Amino acid sequence: MTHSLLVRPIAKKEWAITGVIAFFLVVLMPLMNYFGWISDFTINLWGKYLCYAMLAISVDLLWGYTGLLSLGQALFFSLGGYMMGMYLMRMIGDMGQYHKDMPDFLVFLGWEKLPTFWVPFSSFSFAMIMMMLIPGIVAYVFGWLAFRSRVRGVYFSILTQALTYGASLMFFRNDMLMGGNNGFTDFRFILGFDIRSPETKRGLFIVTAVVLSLTYAGLRCLTRSRFGLVQQAVRDSENRVLFSGYSSPNFKLFIFVLSALIGSIGGALYVPQVGIINPSEMTTEKSLEAVVWTAVGGRGTLVGPIVGAISVNALKSWATRAYPDLWLIILGGMFIIVVLFLPKGIVGVPGMVKDWLQSRKPPEEPDPVPLSKAADKAE
Amino acid sequence: MDNPLILNAEGVNKSFAGFKAITDLNFYLAEGELRTVIGPNGAGKTTFLDLITGRTKPDTGTITFGPLTELVPLSEHEIVRLGIGRKFQTPTVYTDHTVFENLLLSLEGVRGVWKTLFSRTTSTDVDRIDEILKIINLGSRRTDLAGSLSHGQKQWLEIGMLLAQNSKLLLIDEPAAGMSDDETALTGELLLKLAGKHSIIVIEHDMVFVKQIATGRKVTVLHQGSVLCEGSVDAVQNDPRVIEVYLGRKKAA
Amino acid sequence: MVGGWLIDVTGRSVGRGPPSFEKTHASQTGKVTGIKVAMMSMDNEHAFAMHKTWLSGILAAVFFVIPALAQEAKSARQIIVEAVVLSDDSDAQVKLVMSLTGMSDPEVEPLLTAWKEGTIYLAEGSDDKPVAVTLAGDPDATKKETAIRLDNKEPLKDAAGAVVRLSPARAEVAETDSSIRRAMKAVTDLSKIASPEAKDRLMAITQLGMERDVAKLPILEGRLKVETDSKVKRAVQEAIALTQLRSPDAAVRLTGCKSLEEIHPLSANDALIGIIRESEKAGDKPLLAAAKNALAAVEGHRAAVNFVGTLFRGLSLGSVLLVVAIGLSITFGLMGVINMAHGELIAVGAYTTYVVQCIFAEGLALSPFGIKMHLPGMNTTGWVYEMYFVIALPMAFIMAALVGLALERGVIRFLYRRPLESLLATWGVSLVLQQIFRLVFGSNNVQVNSPSWLSDNWTINDVIFGWNRVFVIGFAILIVFGTWALLSKTPLGLLIRAVMQNRNMAACLGVRTERVNMLTFGFGSGLAGLAGAFLSQIGNVGPSLGQSYIVDAFMTVVVGGVGSLIGTVASALGIGVVDQSLQQILGNPVLGKILVLGAIILFLQWRPAGIFATKTRSLES
Repeated sequence: MTHSLLVRPIAKKEWAITGVIAFFLVVLMPLMNYFGWISDFTINLWGKYLCYAMLAISVDLLWGYTGLLSLGQALFFSLGGYMMGMYLMRMIGDMGQYHKDMPDFLVFLGWEKLPTFWVPFSSFSFAMIMMMLIPGIVAYVFGWLAFRSRVRGVYFSILTQALTYGASLMFFRNDMLMGGNNGFTDFRFILGFDIRSPETKRGLFIVTAVVLSLTYAGLRCLTRSRFGLVQQAVRDSENRVLFSGYSSPNFKLFIFVLSALIGSIGGALYVPQVGIINPSEMTTEKSLEAVVWTAVGGRGTLVGPIVGAISVNALKSWATRAYPDLWLIILGGMFIIVVLFLPKGIVGVPGMVKDWLQSRKPPEEPDPVPLSKAADKAE
Repeated sequence: MDNPLILNAEGVNKSFAGFKAITDLNFYLAEGELRTVIGPNGAGKTTFLDLITGRTKPDTGTITFGPLTELVPLSEHEIVRLGIGRKFQTPTVYTDHTVFENLLLSLEGVRGVWKTLFSRTTSTDVDRIDEILKIINLGSRRTDLAGSLSHGQKQWLEIGMLLAQNSKLLLIDEPAAGMSDDETALTGELLLKLAGKHSIIVIEHDMVFVKQIATGRKVTVLHQGSVLCEGSVDAVQNDPRVIEVYLGRKKAA
Repeated sequence: MVGGWLIDVTGRSVGRGPPSFEKTHASQTGKVTGIKVAMMSMDNEHAFAMHKTWLSGILAAVFFVIPALAQEAKSARQIIVEAVVLSDDSDAQVKLVMSLTGMSDPEVEPLLTAWKEGTIYLAEGSDDKPVAVTLAGDPDATKKETAIRLDNKEPLKDAAGAVVRLSPARAEVAETDSSIRRAMKAVTDLSKIASPEAKDRLMAITQLGMERDVAKLPILEGRLKVETDSKVKRAVQEAIALTQLRSPDAAVRLTGCKSLEEIHPLSANDALIGIIRESEKAGDKPLLAAAKNALAAVEGHRAAVNFVGTLFRGLSLGSVLLVVAIGLSITFGLMGVINMAHGELIAVGAYTTYVVQCIFAEGLALSPFGIKMHLPGMNTTGWVYEMYFVIALPMAFIMAALVGLALERGVIRFLYRRPLESLLATWGVSLVLQQIFRLVFGSNNVQVNSPSWLSDNWTINDVIFGWNRVFVIGFAILIVFGTWALLSKTPLGLLIRAVMQNRNMAACLGVRTERVNMLTFGFGSGLAGLAGAFLSQIGNVGPSLGQSYIVDAFMTVVVGGVGSLIGTVASALGIGVVDQSLQQILGNPVLGKILVLGAIILFLQWRPAGIFATKTRSLES
């Protein structure tokens, strides 16, 4: 018998396909950009899409696989972004408007010296550790409280909505010393590279593509391991999970923290590529938008959120230019249609077509109804 | 009873918003016993199982498992890990998992978050699962999704999951509900096969089924949250108090 | 969009910080309903501080003049005419103007205003002396108007007996210099003390109290003797006591402290602190003790006022929450539908109110999707116009209920067993609705005017009870009662409860569950519309109106216990009072709100199913 970590093994063919796509993203696209076949603008845009894909995956890990609809993923995405942003703000050095070695808004608020908690963010590694720690701790504390008291289903959604709302109120305040309304922008350098140069943008794209590929592969294994089975069992029948002796709150907590981290990494990669982070990224609407991507792509699969994030955002880029007034109506309408008619999203369409074709010619099928088959064999 | 007690509930009370679901209940179960519990609707049967499994906590009273273990302060999964398994009234299995995976997840052993992350399926595991599949007659459905099973088969799978858990005490809520007569008979046989190796509490309405599994064994009648009487099937059925409680409802054979 | 925790984020406690506006973004709609007297008088105080020395000198002089002038018993008109023509002697003019002080002649103010604004002219009289005239406003071809004598209101005739006509552009204006204008102001201000309207008297006296000009003590004391209105009388006492604190005479200051202790007005705070400092320096022990006692009394009073005020504001905020959440407690609590578009249904109610208002006034031009539309208006004014709100309430209910019905038929009915998905689909609906609002009404807020019967307030013992707040409390009580009555006293209510408890069983018993679902959802949506109509009176009406209330509404229902009407009431009032208290304690609305959200999350730890949980034995709940 198999002694693999995976209860549901993954075929070699699937790995091969995944590898090819990853190769395309990580190597071919940057090369094409290098030769000028893909514009710098497009590479940057796609870098952004891939960050959104990270966010969508984090939503799906919770919603598609565990049945927890979190409206707080945008919060974790922004927290990661803010941590990266703090590092980038420090890297501006004295090149700001006030020519002091601290962020402009702090000078504007009347700070003579850099506030203590800002000081270590000059170090990239410190910022990256915080990028994991802060969202991790927030998710852990909130998740511990929520799951311990058995907050389930829509209540969980509503509470995460409140969490996000509360956090954005905090970040809107100037005395949070995180830039208030305007957040962070006007970045200049990352790890010594000019953040606006095409080379740096290409580099950031490659890093994003690598991180996304690794995340995908890791989660693909995770969801097919025994852990993954328990996780999906929680979604299908939490009672049975409890009565099989698993502590479902612990599993949910683990997943919640993990997806917070994935979202946070996505946000940290996003900020240097778009060059701004502010509290408007931290809203329930943004979380719900990521839920749309996941739903459109197909939840409960890992490819779905990636496909959804890229396709919906590509549509958005086009529609906000072509029909700026109608974009929200398109987005909202898309949501309604997907929920009502396409529960499995884009990646579920082939399956649906197949089912539909099969249902059109039932007599030929030897035994399409599993139930009757089951009854026969049981005798 | 010669065997030591495996479950010992004394002076248990539980009320919901003023409604007394369980009143001063005393219940004793010996190791290896198969006990059938009957009672009209609202007698508190399901609540009793909830109390044992930690789903709700009693207002007063003690519930002891084995010689020493007090169940009241423990949480559900801890109680399960002690060896108390429960089958729900409506079959509760993982519909999107295969039959094999359902049993694998129920196998005794790996339960913690980190352990499940790095657990490998051993051949002992597989052997044990195949053994259980044979007991519950589902060998041929090994790789099918549990959602595609018939109602009765889901019930058996759920019982099989309790076996995989290696539960010492099985709590089985209305196993015959919604089954065909043949399936009911098979279920009865299955339970009789398990009696002795496991201690079992069966809650049931179907008196034919009760006769099948409880002949020669003790039956407990619950009424308004406490034990009305205990005894053999015939004795219980002829008890005037029981007849009154069930008046016009079940005067089965 | 980050709206406040409902309307009240800028509201502060009485006596601390600047006076409150009733609206969060008052500047956007320009609808400021609650500026208090204090704000207006601040400028005056400033002006007076600059000219204090000047004024007291004049005043002192004037008090000796008054009796003399009074004997001559000249009318105000005569005095003013006399003053206007003395254009060479500004000091004499000031004296004459000041002599008008305390006169109750109604002509004083309009005449002085006319003079100040330059509509009094000097014409050549028959005897070469200048004559004060006004112009009749009947321009002829040469733009000349008939000159009317100021003293006898007759047309001015020249030596030949012909009527004199002057061009306003050419005629010589009777000028005023700054000292005359100051004197005029002092006179008009003081003349208001004797105004027949108690309100005007109160305002004038409060102003005098703030000036704290010792020279004016006799005026105030004189007023105290004749004043009959108890409120005004109290204000006079307050003004006297405050002014006494400025007296050079220590005994008078002591009296001031003592009477302040008795009447403990909130405005005395700073003055008393000043006195305490002063007397500490001077070592005046009895004065120090009296001032401290007075301050303690004032602070005690302030605590009481703040307490009652906070309670009241909490109740009214709670009522707003309740009004907003009650529709949700029907659709979410009873039906289990997560309607993220609930906020937009509220906005539908608010916009309906706006449209009704426009129809009562001059109509409304809209251009949704590029289509030009014009709704004709009825051009009503006065009380008919003010009644628009009475019509708007049922209209808001109906419109929101219709939109809700469409939503139920079009989307929600497919999702009754999938709550998470109904959340997502209705969020899609909310996006669409918001964008439609933008396209139809524009992205900016629209202006909804409160009828006058909602924009005043009662001040009882320094606690301000805004009528709109009182109204919302009454409104909430009415809605709760109506909902309760509908659910528990009508056949429809019985059906609703039956279907919500067990849809299948009800269907088996022949209840048309589809229809009941529809009606229930429509009712809940209608309630949202009512909430919107009400919110239009106390907050801004814009496309994202709904978004700023939705989190609060859900929190309220969850904390109250889903499916429990009484729970929703308790949690709305609880959250309202806690929120306002935290604001009061922290002095910071946003921080208060964040704490409330945190507290709610912790509260749900303790009672996961809310305050009034429906305890259930069902396993799959």
